[in-house]
Amino acid sequence: MSDVLDLQGEAGEFEDEVEDDEQNVNKLKERVKRRKGRGFRGDGTAREDIRDYEAMEADAGDQSGPGPQRSVEGWILIVTGVNEEAQEDDIHQKFADYGEIKNLHLNLDRRTGFLKGYALVEFSSYAEAQKAKNELNNSTIFDQEIKVDWCFVKEPKRRGFRGRH
Amino acid sequence: MSSNDFYVRYYVGHKGKFGHEFLEFEFRPDGKLRYANNSNYKNDTIIRKEVYVSGSVMAELRRIIEDSEIMQEDDSDWPVPDRVGRQELEIVLGDEHVSFTTSKIGSLADVTNSDDVEGLRCFYYLVQDLKCMVFSLIGLHFKIKPI
Repeated sequence: MSDVLDLQGEAGEFEDEVEDDEQNVNKLKERVKRRKGRGFRGDGTAREDIRDYEAMEADAGDQSGPGPQRSVEGWILIVTGVNEEAQEDDIHQKFADYGEIKNLHLNLDRRTGFLKGYALVEFSSYAEAQKAKNELNNSTIFDQEIKVDWCFVKEPKRRGFRGRH
Repeated sequence: MSSNDFYVRYYVGHKGKFGHEFLEFEFRPDGKLRYANNSNYKNDTIIRKEVYVSGSVMAELRRIIEDSEIMQEDDSDWPVPDRVGRQELEIVLGDEHVSFTTSKIGSLADVTNSDDVEGLRCFYYLVQDLKCMVFSLIGLHFKIKPI
């Protein structure tokens, strides 16, 4: 009997969170001063109401944010401020000192063909990724300072007093 | 201007023989990235993934959008969505909110033949850069091929 009650309670809370989330986006849209585009007219959108998105499970016993979020096969860093003329080797060499790089995405600017300016680097262990992050943040590639940070984070804690404003 | 006043959503899709097929992603102000891909051609399941990205990812996304100068464009002279498909790009940046719609763009030729070459080119390249970033984020995090 108590099990049933608990389940109902959780389901109710989840619904509230979904609506809170929508409301935050809607409030953001209400605050703006200028609107532009055909999307504001009657035939504005073809999007569907999609629910039940899948997420990675938070690590057991480590549900309380904030902090980095593990990915399916490892820990991913984002590198920003990458010189547009850098090569994959330049990034690889720098990060390979901290462990085997499982994946490296160095995306291009589709217009210019040069680097877009960011890279995603994946290590299999937390320790390797954290060390690389700590030691390479604010280092330089081609005389340009790079920033290194976690790419994914745990769900932020929601503010209390729902609907306070 | 609050640095949290930032939201991005992109949709591309069409309704046809295989139902409503689309790709959509959005970045919410708290860093929640949502990705949905409904392709009924090979299998009838919809991919729905979500993950929170860090402030650094949001800042990089914002830089890409600001650098593109898309907020200064206007969709009034772009091709209207048609039976082949539609694209929607919605961005809130500070106190400005744009919600652009247009048809699918097959190639750069569609851009150069349009009535607003500059604006549509800006949209065309920005969308490619955004998709590229999202496919990397979702693909690496969940180890899936997003398309």
